[in-house]
Amino acid sequence: MPEHVRLTKNRRDFLRDAFCGFGSLAFASLLAQEQARAGKLNPLAAKPPHFAPKARAVIFLFMAGGPSHIETFDPKPLLNQLHGQKRPAEFGEAKYQFVGADAKLLGTKRTFKKYGKCGMEVSDLLPNIATCVDDIALIRSCYGDMVVHSAAQYQLMTGRIIPGFPNMGSWLVYGLGAETDSLPAYVVMPDPDGALEAGQPMYTQGFLPAVYQPTMLRAGSKPILNLDLPPDVNYTTRKKTLDLIRELNQAGPNAESDEFFARMNAYDLAFRMQMEAPAVFDLKTESPQTLEMYGVGREPTDDYGRRCLLARRLVERGVRFVCVVSGGGPGNLQWDAHDDIEENHIRMAAQTDQPIAALLKDLKQRGLLESTLVLWGGEFGRSPEAQGGKGRDHHNLGFSMWLAGGGIKGGQIVGATDAIGLRAVENPVHFRDIHTTILHQLGLNQHALSYMHQGRRERLTEVEGHVIQQIV
Amino acid sequence: MCFWLFALVVSSFSPLSAASAVTEKYSAAERRHWAFQPRSNPPVPKIAGASNPIDAFLLARLQKEGLRFAPPASRLTLVRRVYFDLTGLPPSPAEIDAFLQDRSPKAWEKLIDRLLASPHYAERWAQHWLDVVRFAESDGFEYDAHRPNAWRYRDYVIDSFRTDKPYDQFLTEQLAGDEIDPDNPVLRTAAGFQRLGPLRKNAGNQEVASSRNEVLTEMTNLIGSGLLGVTLGCARCHDHKFDPIRQTDYYRIQAYFAAVHDKDLSLATPEQEKAYQEAKAAHEAELKRLRQTMEKLTGEEKGRMLQKIRNLEETPPEPPPAVFSVLNDMSKMSPIHVLARGDYQNKGPRVFPRPLGVLIPDNTPELPATTPNPRTQLAKWITDPSHPLTARVMVNRIWHYHFGQGIVRTPNDFGRMGTRPSHPELLDYLANEFVNQGWRMKPLHKMILMSQAYQQSSDSPLEALGHEKDPEVTLLWKFPRRRLDAEQIRDAMLSIAGRLNPKMGGPSVIVPVDQELVNLLYKPSQWAVTKDPSEHDRRSIYLLHKRNLRLPLMEVFDAPDLQLSCARRESSTHAPQALELLNGPFANEMARSLAARLDREAGASREKQVDLAFRLATGRLPNPKEKAAALAFLKTQPLREFALAILNLNAFLYVN
Repeated sequence: MPEHVRLTKNRRDFLRDAFCGFGSLAFASLLAQEQARAGKLNPLAAKPPHFAPKARAVIFLFMAGGPSHIETFDPKPLLNQLHGQKRPAEFGEAKYQFVGADAKLLGTKRTFKKYGKCGMEVSDLLPNIATCVDDIALIRSCYGDMVVHSAAQYQLMTGRIIPGFPNMGSWLVYGLGAETDSLPAYVVMPDPDGALEAGQPMYTQGFLPAVYQPTMLRAGSKPILNLDLPPDVNYTTRKKTLDLIRELNQAGPNAESDEFFARMNAYDLAFRMQMEAPAVFDLKTESPQTLEMYGVGREPTDDYGRRCLLARRLVERGVRFVCVVSGGGPGNLQWDAHDDIEENHIRMAAQTDQPIAALLKDLKQRGLLESTLVLWGGEFGRSPEAQGGKGRDHHNLGFSMWLAGGGIKGGQIVGATDAIGLRAVENPVHFRDIHTTILHQLGLNQHALSYMHQGRRERLTEVEGHVIQQIV
Repeated sequence: MCFWLFALVVSSFSPLSAASAVTEKYSAAERRHWAFQPRSNPPVPKIAGASNPIDAFLLARLQKEGLRFAPPASRLTLVRRVYFDLTGLPPSPAEIDAFLQDRSPKAWEKLIDRLLASPHYAERWAQHWLDVVRFAESDGFEYDAHRPNAWRYRDYVIDSFRTDKPYDQFLTEQLAGDEIDPDNPVLRTAAGFQRLGPLRKNAGNQEVASSRNEVLTEMTNLIGSGLLGVTLGCARCHDHKFDPIRQTDYYRIQAYFAAVHDKDLSLATPEQEKAYQEAKAAHEAELKRLRQTMEKLTGEEKGRMLQKIRNLEETPPEPPPAVFSVLNDMSKMSPIHVLARGDYQNKGPRVFPRPLGVLIPDNTPELPATTPNPRTQLAKWITDPSHPLTARVMVNRIWHYHFGQGIVRTPNDFGRMGTRPSHPELLDYLANEFVNQGWRMKPLHKMILMSQAYQQSSDSPLEALGHEKDPEVTLLWKFPRRRLDAEQIRDAMLSIAGRLNPKMGGPSVIVPVDQELVNLLYKPSQWAVTKDPSEHDRRSIYLLHKRNLRLPLMEVFDAPDLQLSCARRESSTHAPQALELLNGPFANEMARSLAARLDREAGASREKQVDLAFRLATGRLPNPKEKAAALAFLKTQPLREFALAILNLNAFLYVN
């Protein structure tokens, strides 16, 4: 950073500097006061968790559109035997978005093998992720309440089936603050193929203050909105403008008030972000081996590989929550395999399998996996019944998600669906249980993390969720 | 739980078509909560020097804490404060001068009268109401389909504020306009209120019962939070945990809406209607052709074709004008049941319309299911002059917008979890005045603005004591300084840049935004930018309120998310705001226009340019230090960078 840039000093740093020669007791009490004030000056200042955390960051690998559990992590031999038949009555009822009561069961063409020390079965769609199973806690008994994309995506992201509630990333930043002051704390990397059904409201901060909003990273060379100078302005000029703003604000009335101080602080943060963030997006500093591992520079892995690698770089620099979306635009460019489960899932798996495995291994080799919780999954799974002969419909009654890192005990499987993968029958795990478990790993209590909104103490988990004890 | 078992048993024996006996009882203790009590007639405290009853109530309380009002604000501060407050726009230098030069004792009063009569007052205060009713012009959820006629509701609200429509009438029209006169376009527009919420539609198997339940839930919740100031929505799944609102209360309020269905009122001429039908047929034929082509494709090609079809689906021919509204359809009336845990498949006993139990005698019967105009009945109850909540809630909202916080600081929640009023007598006094003056808002505004409390400075000589006794300034020992809200910032920037297009009303405007943001829409083609660029410079209230795409400038400055009723906006401070105002295309364009205006109006003199910039943005001239800094900057740097700095100043973004 050029030396003539004088950033407004954080008052805590100032005190620390000023008091280092004095008794530590006086310092500690002042520090406590100053921490309270720091929150006012910078609402993103790091806050202590409710109890000792295992993880400090989360990467959500969001498989949008709903990947099939039957083709990935939940082998169902009986389904192949029953292929072409109607679902036997003993499995009970299910409501789908499209297929009706006369639909026939669809066997899978995938083959499954046991991997790792734990012997977890994974399909041939995901040979790379399969090599990481000893770090993965697989949940085969997930369920949600909605069978259409938008509402299910809202529930996965915010705990509610309607828009207007904060995403889990916003909740985490609200609860813990940020560990970086040159990058946004909560980042979403959408799939460049397009947007999803639930749209922006599923990522946003809902009724929380705007400071907890996500930063959407865009495709192309300018990933953060407004981070770059306008095309006709150069850096030297703009730096002087920034100095003028500071000078005028200081010359104006009430320059010392907390709120104005916070505003100056925000300009400093913005400036730091402008200076330091672009380097994060420059993957050229990564070794050829790393790029190769993520599949960068090759199809079909280049795009998702870049974004997974970027996720690691962001987490490494203190970003709290990163959502890396696979799938966007029309259903067939998501995991939303209504027409042809084979064609769709082979394509989607090929784009993501290697990058995801690379991310897990890379985090591990850098010692980051211990403190980074990785979550994989979509807003629902897919139906055991065929849609239009070769496709599968949405299905929310039983499907798979997995967690790894961040203190999660890998190499094990939680729960089970019935013999055709229709319903979570053993140890069912709702989205709110996943949310509760994530909060728990980050040292947050689901009840204590609340925000008063319209007379209700709102929480991510709405009604009580359960920590998945088996894996923490 | 026991109640549930009991209720389910009862329901299986009771005939479903007739109102059943009401069994809920509300104890005296439950009825005693302050907000459910009738309004009192508090005597105005006798305080020396308080010329206005508002001041008497406030000073009586301040004196208990050893506090007092801050000295009067300067006239310059006042004129800027009241312009932003009443019109959402800054005063022009000429308007400032006119006020400063009017030395008559009535100058302030005349200014208030003039601003209350200004159409900009209506535009500003309509936005507050739009926040409360979570007005938006798209469905939300995956299709986020636009509601091309919803702007008429926005204009209806503006017009109601402009004409100072009595609040009881304003509510009645929105609750029951269609029942009062189904052929009256104004009343039908007002009734569009009932379908402003997000609406989930999906392809494939329709869950009709579930969707209908969601629609009714949206209508019911808003009555609680928006009109009554109670968290009625909390009683959807179970009896309210804190307030005396039973689950049956929730569904009995919902029962007033049992027959409501979306129904537009066409405003088309026969020619318009014919042209539309022809265009629609052509559009459908083209879609059919593309779908047939798609059948032959596979994989990614098929995906791309699907996208093409979607794009075409999203751009159907524009339908002829209509009013976005509702009507009762008795043949499709939804039987309203108490729903266990709010689950539409888990039906308890059927209920019929009845006001909130805690506000009426226990033995009050339900209305018969066949009551012809149920919402007219609801409106009558809500707007009854003796209703303990309606007037208090609205008066508190008005106070909240003037002072930045309400007498009750949770404007949508007057229940036990809300805050208690800081000045209960004052609240009742104002509510009585409001009702007695015919539920008109302008006299209430005037009473508040004429008070010493409103005209005091935002700096107090008792700062230390004030912070100790009342850090949140609830007692108003000074005027709370406030950041401009999102719309004020955008509108003020347009105004001082000399760009504001003052045109009122009409269809909403879509302004250009970053293409990457548009691409985040599931249907990017929905963002069809308004062709006439002069329209892009209109006030923010006329911009399209789309649930799935909000302008970054609005978003970073805490504009509401358009999904839920917003009673109080946050005022957060964070780095993306700085990035938006420094690097955002809108801020830079406004800076260019402001620079051009400075050149144009102040001539070549740097000093005059600096003076004018400060006058436009902050209302005042620069102090010597500011002026020196600005002039030093301008020796080497371009004027438009100076203009950008001006738009980033605290002195611009805050109102004292």
